[in-house]
Amino acid sequence: MPVQALVGHRSFLTLLFGTLLVLPAVANQYTLFVGNLMLLYIILALGLNILVGFSGQLAFANAAIYGIGAYGTALLQVHLGWSFWAAAPVGAVLAMVIGTLLAIPALRLSGIFLALATLAFAQATQWVLWHWQSVTFGAGGFRTPSPSFSWFAIKQDYGIYFVSWVTTVTLFLFTWRIMRSRIGRAFVAMRDGEIAAQSLGIDLLAYKAMAFALSSFYAGVAGALYSGLLGYMSPEGFDLFQMIIQKAMIVVGGLGSVVGSVLGAALLVYIMEFLREFKSTQEIVFGVLLVGFMVFQPNGLVVFMKRWLPGWEEPMHLPERPQAISKPDVVEGTTSGDHPVVERT
Amino acid sequence: MKQLASTMGVALAFACMATAGAQAADVPGVTDTEIKVGTFGPLTGPVYIYGKLTMNGVEVYFNKLNEKGGIHGRKLVLVREDDLCKPEGAIAAVKKLIYEDKVFAIIGGGCSNSTLAARPEIEKAGVPFHVFAAVADGIVDPPAANIYTTQLTATIESHAQIQWALDRGAKKLAIVSQHDAWGRSRYEPMLQDLKRRGLQVVADEEVTVDQNDGTAQALRLKSSGADAVMLLGYPKAAAVLIRDSIKIGYKPIWIGQTAIQDLPALQGLIGIDGSLANFVSITTIPGHPDNPQYAEWRKLLKNTFPNDELSVFNLMGIAAAEVFGKVVDAAGKELTREKFLAAYNTIDNFKSSIYPGPITCKGQHKCNQSPAFVKLDNNNVVFAGTVVLK
Repeated sequence: MPVQALVGHRSFLTLLFGTLLVLPAVANQYTLFVGNLMLLYIILALGLNILVGFSGQLAFANAAIYGIGAYGTALLQVHLGWSFWAAAPVGAVLAMVIGTLLAIPALRLSGIFLALATLAFAQATQWVLWHWQSVTFGAGGFRTPSPSFSWFAIKQDYGIYFVSWVTTVTLFLFTWRIMRSRIGRAFVAMRDGEIAAQSLGIDLLAYKAMAFALSSFYAGVAGALYSGLLGYMSPEGFDLFQMIIQKAMIVVGGLGSVVGSVLGAALLVYIMEFLREFKSTQEIVFGVLLVGFMVFQPNGLVVFMKRWLPGWEEPMHLPERPQAISKPDVVEGTTSGDHPVVERT
Repeated sequence: MKQLASTMGVALAFACMATAGAQAADVPGVTDTEIKVGTFGPLTGPVYIYGKLTMNGVEVYFNKLNEKGGIHGRKLVLVREDDLCKPEGAIAAVKKLIYEDKVFAIIGGGCSNSTLAARPEIEKAGVPFHVFAAVADGIVDPPAANIYTTQLTATIESHAQIQWALDRGAKKLAIVSQHDAWGRSRYEPMLQDLKRRGLQVVADEEVTVDQNDGTAQALRLKSSGADAVMLLGYPKAAAVLIRDSIKIGYKPIWIGQTAIQDLPALQGLIGIDGSLANFVSITTIPGHPDNPQYAEWRKLLKNTFPNDELSVFNLMGIAAAEVFGKVVDAAGKELTREKFLAAYNTIDNFKSSIYPGPITCKGQHKCNQSPAFVKLDNNNVVFAGTVVLK
């Protein structure tokens, strides 16, 4: 069997998702919970990477959209008496609708200005969660009914885990397909140059709205599952730290890489739990790891895998990142007086 | 990808069958020589004092017991988990303690919301849980067979603040509160108790944890004519408000709660001598940690944690651990979780070396129902009195 077949991304994904699938049969409740969190963060990272990595929209509202999905699901259950199965899709769609509206300012803003605008939206959402007491129950939070899995004759912990697993794999496959379609190429064109993209006939409003909608839908789905997993909602889970974690996942995994989203999310959830052993110093260790990653592997884990593992062939759409200018790889035939062609790694 | 999808589909069906009848099994962490006790709370972040410092207090008390041979020949071993003061973190921490560390019982809970989130998991697992710092009533109300608290709950404290004001003849009451999870857990019960008594506040002001100026709130309080102000805030917010009230010549009765029971520290924050002349606060301990009565604990704390100065939060942990140890002792040598929980019923009017009032778990899960007040007298923290809740 060729080595490539063993270490390519398909083998890796089969191993990862396969391990996550059989986890309930061998793991205790704690490991199962961590595995479930890993699945939710994979969904979040996939969605965020569509928006930031593929479409180039520097948005900071994903944690808030995640919160809207979670709160939407939980509040429909508590206030209107809906079942989780009815509330979860509505919660996810609600998050998608609100998230899509963010495409309107995104049409006029970019870079740091879009970041600030979406950050303001995230803060406003937090404020609503904290202070709209009559609807959101404010800072004190509230309990949510557990989803019922009586028709599968399995316990709630296992049930929500399998639902998360199926959803994650489905969304992964969907992302994989869509990023290789005309839509994915339009996202990348938009990221690499809006004017050039328009000249190619790409409708910026439509594609930006689509990027925000897809990303928000993923965050809403993850939020709905999070509500079912925790059984308790309070605003603390959707703050700036949550946003930083999600951003770190796609940067560590690889911006503009579907597999990178999975890698980054799985790795960071594992690291965060592993660092429990470091007790009071875990935030410092986490920070050092992130900084180290930024310095030594700024293009993400996927580049590292691609470089060192034969068969790792995902055709990535890397965003433009500044390369070291000291030693550019000069293509044969150019001279020091020519503009050197820097080979992208 | 199609191959991946079909492989996963078959594996999913297999995994569903394999786990349909799976049962969680836990073994209480008791051996002939030790009892493994778990704890969770914030070890990091801005509110680590409710977790890390309280845990240090618990460990100091456990060490003291262990040096004397433990309880019924078993030493108490504390296993810590950080919950980051977040619901998700608390659930993960509790699951790790129960299913991975396999602790016998848990003594912990630093933040109200995260502890509330962890309650269903603890209740479901049946592991005994002794709350040491979190104050939200929902943690023990409605009662769960395996959850007890020796901390004054938010409702008890809020009712006691109102009672103190009324006992001193106050006619116009005002509330100043933080509108975060901690503040809300006190503010809502306070409003309910006022309503029950047919009272209305003349002012209801909001402060934030990191507020640097309280002039606006002080002016509104003064113009309302409030003669007693119930403070539901952390030390910094309280200090800023009292400082700016003094500046405008407003001197009501200030009534604090356990978050601001370190009066010398509060006076230091205000920076004006005599600023706490009209200030009382509910206390977990009837004196300042620097008082001679706590000399032994100061020494023991330094032995284990040389960088710690004895604080109210350390003493809260020591106090909770003292009751916890008493229950372990009462459960007898043949220790089981059932016997341990049954032993809480033997805690009846227990005179703790730290809590100001008696501790009674017999017939109730809120074991501490005795709010006491302290005040500052010549820079010494002294007992100011107590109230009978009506």
